[in-house]
Amino acid sequence: MKDDYLWDGSGEPDPEVQKLESLLGRFRHDQPAPTFDQVTAEQPVPRRWRLMFRFSFQLAAVTAVLLIGVATFFVFRAGHSQDSGRAWDIARIEGAPRVGWHSLKANAETAKLKVGQTLVTDNSSRASITLDETGSIDVEPDSRLKVVASGPERKRLSLERGTIHATIWGPAGSFGVDTPSAVAVDLGCVFTLHVDDSGAGLVRTTMGWVGFKLNGHESFIPAGAVCATRPKIGPGTPYFEDASASLRDALTKFDFAKIAPPERHALLGVLLSDARKEDALTLWHLLSRVSEADRAAVYDRLAMLAPPPADVTRKGILRLDQKMLDSWWNSLGYGDVYLWNMYERTWSEK
Amino acid sequence: MDGTVVHRACNVEYILDFRTASMEREAVTPERAAETRASDALVSAARAGDRMAFGRLYDRYARMVHGILLCRVPPRDVDDLVQEVFLLALQQLHSLRDISRFGAWLTTITRNRANDHYRKASPVDRSTDPAAEEQAESRTNDPVVEQEAAMTLAVLRTLPETYRESLTLRLVEGMTGPEIAARMGLTHGSVRVNLHRGMHMLREKLAEKPRGSGKALGAE
Repeated sequence: MKDDYLWDGSGEPDPEVQKLESLLGRFRHDQPAPTFDQVTAEQPVPRRWRLMFRFSFQLAAVTAVLLIGVATFFVFRAGHSQDSGRAWDIARIEGAPRVGWHSLKANAETAKLKVGQTLVTDNSSRASITLDETGSIDVEPDSRLKVVASGPERKRLSLERGTIHATIWGPAGSFGVDTPSAVAVDLGCVFTLHVDDSGAGLVRTTMGWVGFKLNGHESFIPAGAVCATRPKIGPGTPYFEDASASLRDALTKFDFAKIAPPERHALLGVLLSDARKEDALTLWHLLSRVSEADRAAVYDRLAMLAPPPADVTRKGILRLDQKMLDSWWNSLGYGDVYLWNMYERTWSEK
Repeated sequence: MDGTVVHRACNVEYILDFRTASMEREAVTPERAAETRASDALVSAARAGDRMAFGRLYDRYARMVHGILLCRVPPRDVDDLVQEVFLLALQQLHSLRDISRFGAWLTTITRNRANDHYRKASPVDRSTDPAAEEQAESRTNDPVVEQEAAMTLAVLRTLPETYRESLTLRLVEGMTGPEIAARMGLTHGSVRVNLHRGMHMLREKLAEKPRGSGKALGAE
């Protein structure tokens, strides 16, 4: 019986369970026992104190019941006036981060960040916010971070200014951050997002992927890559941080500068000649961002660096055949395109 | 029902496992009794100051602690927290009234430590350690497999807590159902139900991923 295999590894092996064991086994505990010799165990509390504690406990229990009653009343009342979504827990790291008029000044002090509220850090403050089922976010100095939505299916923040480091363990596509120039959608990852005073943004992915989107203009940023964004333009072309300086400079101008077509064509020449095999990420995005006349050159260079799979043809890519673009992307090794589809389904209609 | 009967009638036990956990009468097998005695002896010795005994408790329970933490905090933080949990347990061992409940007590400490992890983190704790990051990410050289594993773990973490913990201990830590029950102080029936239902939910969630191609990446 297959459930016997799930239960204790006996019986007929269940291939699906075996695959999951193999896949998830990489996270298994493999650390040796530390040395406990130097650790001093706390001594038992003397009997007299224990009795006092026992009475204190009873008093504390009565007090706790009263407090729970009062708290329940206020929570119930607040529930009718506030959004029903979950509130993020705020913890002060440094300085005096604030929500509205309330500042957190002590290390032990915590507060909640509800839908519609904004966490503000000045130039000497840092904080973190956590939602158990979603993840944790460090908020750097000089930042403004607002909770836009906190429903069971979708958690959405708005970074109006500053820097956040997000570690997200919720389902891919369920968490996103609005910025003045794009929406960053987590696809199961760790990332840093920065927004300057002009509204320009930069996302840097440490682990997993991030989708960056504005009005149908999209970029897809895997671990180790960076992508800039500008107000009214949206996300630029992603690139790996170790790309050459000339490629990065050319890309910034290509994406955001107001330049004439000849100059743009010249910049594309720099991008193609400087691209390494690792920069297939950048060239793949460029396929759908260059003019029809330039697309063939991008195809040829990308095909030289990362040959397309058998089901992808030059003709199909030049007409931006979606299945072929997907197939080529999947062959690049950055991950399966299904995640992007999940992201589209979850966020594009909001 | 004694342990012998349960051993002989595996199919019967399987059917009965789908009652609620509270309805089940737990059979005490000789193996389980021996396991409990061994754990109790180690806890007693550790309470008396025997650090080697505590080290053996670590060997016995580390996977459970690791799995429970992995359900709640990022993988890169888990190893450090495992050690913190055991240090905390060592320091508080005198407060454990019933030594036979060590597993359940340790489970509670672990869950509480995971919940406090972000709230109590200091700037030093929270800074990124590149070496640790690399270690956490370097278990395979295949980014696709790595990504699939991370995604599967993320989906696993969306399951209800009860199913999530049992399934993590089974699929990630490689513990068997009887081991999970013994370590966490649960009945075989409740663990079996958790594994069965959790696996059912996990299959459904993993099957939700779209098949075939959709909109092209980055295509306008």
